[in-house]
Amino acid sequence: MIGVLESVIRGLGNGSVYALLALGFVIIYKATRVISFAQPALMLAGAVAVSYLTEVTGFYLAVLLAALLIAGVALGIERVAIRPMVGRPVFVVAIITLGVDVVVRVVVNGFIGRDVRQMGDPWGLHQVALGPLVVQQRWLAMLAVTAVLVTLLFLFFRHTRYGLAMRAAAFDQETALAQGVSVGAVFALSWALAGFLAAIAGMFVGTGQGVEQLTWIVALKALPAIIVGGLDSLGGAVAGGLTIGVVESLFQSYQGEFAPWLGQNFAVVTPYVVMLVVLLVRPYGLFGTREVERV
Amino acid sequence: MKVRYGVTFVAIVALLSACGVIRGDDEGSKGAVTTGVTREPCPLAVDKNKGCIYLGTISDLTQGPFAALAVPITDAQKAFWKRVNTAGGIGGKYEVDVQAYVRDNKYNPEVHRQVYNEIKDKVLGLAQTLGSPTTAAIIGDLKANNVVSAPASWTSAWEFEDVIVESGANYCVEAMNSVDYAMETYKPKTVMAVHLAGDYGADAAAGAKIAAEKNGLEFTAVETPPGATEQGRAITEITKNKPDLVILTTGPADAAAIVGQSAAAGFKGRFIGTGPTWNPALLKSPAAPALKALYEQSSPGKPFNADTPGHKAMREALTGVTPNDGYTSGWVWSYPLKAALEKMVASGDISRKGLLAAVKTLATVDYEGMLPPEAGNFSGDPNTATFRQTLVNKLDETAPTGVSTVKDFFIGPTAQAYAMDGPCYAKL
Repeated sequence: MIGVLESVIRGLGNGSVYALLALGFVIIYKATRVISFAQPALMLAGAVAVSYLTEVTGFYLAVLLAALLIAGVALGIERVAIRPMVGRPVFVVAIITLGVDVVVRVVVNGFIGRDVRQMGDPWGLHQVALGPLVVQQRWLAMLAVTAVLVTLLFLFFRHTRYGLAMRAAAFDQETALAQGVSVGAVFALSWALAGFLAAIAGMFVGTGQGVEQLTWIVALKALPAIIVGGLDSLGGAVAGGLTIGVVESLFQSYQGEFAPWLGQNFAVVTPYVVMLVVLLVRPYGLFGTREVERV
Repeated sequence: MKVRYGVTFVAIVALLSACGVIRGDDEGSKGAVTTGVTREPCPLAVDKNKGCIYLGTISDLTQGPFAALAVPITDAQKAFWKRVNTAGGIGGKYEVDVQAYVRDNKYNPEVHRQVYNEIKDKVLGLAQTLGSPTTAAIIGDLKANNVVSAPASWTSAWEFEDVIVESGANYCVEAMNSVDYAMETYKPKTVMAVHLAGDYGADAAAGAKIAAEKNGLEFTAVETPPGATEQGRAITEITKNKPDLVILTTGPADAAAIVGQSAAAGFKGRFIGTGPTWNPALLKSPAAPALKALYEQSSPGKPFNADTPGHKAMREALTGVTPNDGYTSGWVWSYPLKAALEKMVASGDISRKGLLAAVKTLATVDYEGMLPPEAGNFSGDPNTATFRQTLVNKLDETAPTGVSTVKDFFIGPTAQAYAMDGPCYAKL
């Protein structure tokens, strides 16, 4: 039982990272109806920025600065590559984000170089005892920081003018525009928020093990997370991310024992299996808006 | 109207002909001796009176998983051939160019085949074909056209291919020696091979299995996906089964995650990782204390700072670079090609067939001390020719690449007795 709980905590830790990334996807999707495939590159850029800044400013300030820097980069990308495409088919814009992802990664890879870059984080691989459970500190840090960020995000959407503007624009762009909401500013803000969250996620991915050029692949697990939670649901993104993390961790620990016939590395595909199962039962995700189509 | 069409047609034909499209002009064929060899000097010739032998390079130069090693390998080979050219070239008649046909395979077999097809009619052989699955995609064509190639991988499959001039023991032999070294040093009773899929990881795991059986040890194999964040299952298997010895064949970040997190969870067994599991940057990682306590690196050759004439020449040719054993490997892999090219030119049969014939006569190669000369045996049958000596390195923060040799070239009893009768990975 202790082993199961330890696996669940590991899963919640990793799942928090998927949730942060998934939130970025959903925020951009809600604002622009586009799935941004640039999130993996922004995540990697965030991690690499932390790895450089931490040597100058210390870890905590480095995280804040890197997150703001990546938010700025995301703003720039939105202004240069995405805004001119407003009104074009969303498919075209999604493909542009794929191109942006490749370009940003090539630049960031130049900064990563040949080595594994370290975050300089205080958690390392240290463990902590929670009663009978022994878990890594970084998993608890991931969970705690994600909880704080998600709470702040929900407060922002519910209680601030910009949050209200974003919700209005997500609900109906034309009406929001008619009410004086700057839809362009909403687009920009959504990209900045997604960049900020991706940078924090990237930093966490790098804790304990560092970042290398292939680390971006982790971000792809946010895709099943958003499908599981529902493409347009912020709560769903969090629930989806955590679900994916926990299921993956439990399979890593126990599939070899209880279902060896599934092969050695079934855990790698579990996010996608969960996604398929949810799609079969609820095609719009656990918390997504059910689409009503009149015929 | 018809006249106008006629004039246009003639004009187009004349234009294409002038450009050499219709006439069949080929830039590479000017003054050609044979495919990939010209009487004209190399573009970067040291001596313009010598002809040029063009060798292609297909490597993982940008976004693939081995770019961190591939770039230094490629740079070292440029420096190696520049040194050869400066020292008088091949047989005093030719210089070697490895810069005109460099292509990126992105570690993708399909891309590898595509870029190989682009350059194959312009080069005599390949100075580098990086990766086992990627080279496997072109091996049929290499054999059919006698394209002698230096690999940038150590799979045991290359022992069975005449056109591949490998240097250093293969992963299979390396893992056999690692288990035998551990038997002598740590006396384990259980061995676990944690390995990536394919003929890098599976080749080493098969070697570990063969050695474990020979030594009467209990053996388990755990295949793991690449990526530091994907190692949860491997770590669970290690901490749950507590093997006395773990043979690792992964990338460096994966290795650090496995060793660091297993140790954090209380694991106290030994790890021996194959050459590519190490990267000097790991000394700065949170896993460093665990790596120092539990990890050693097996290797097919001595590290960057070793005291041999070859190593010294390499360091002199590559002044100013950050030490990395990618440079060492790239440099070592070039010696057999140099020896074969010299034999080919001396024989007078300057052709792909002539080069392959020269390779088949090589019983030893002068590696300037970087490897024993018998590592360059390409004349015998695979079982006789397979080079079986490897080293074990320990972590050493004072060494430029973070490791120094703890056990010099040796052959363990398993590798000594093993009959190399096919690629090892097929036996896992």
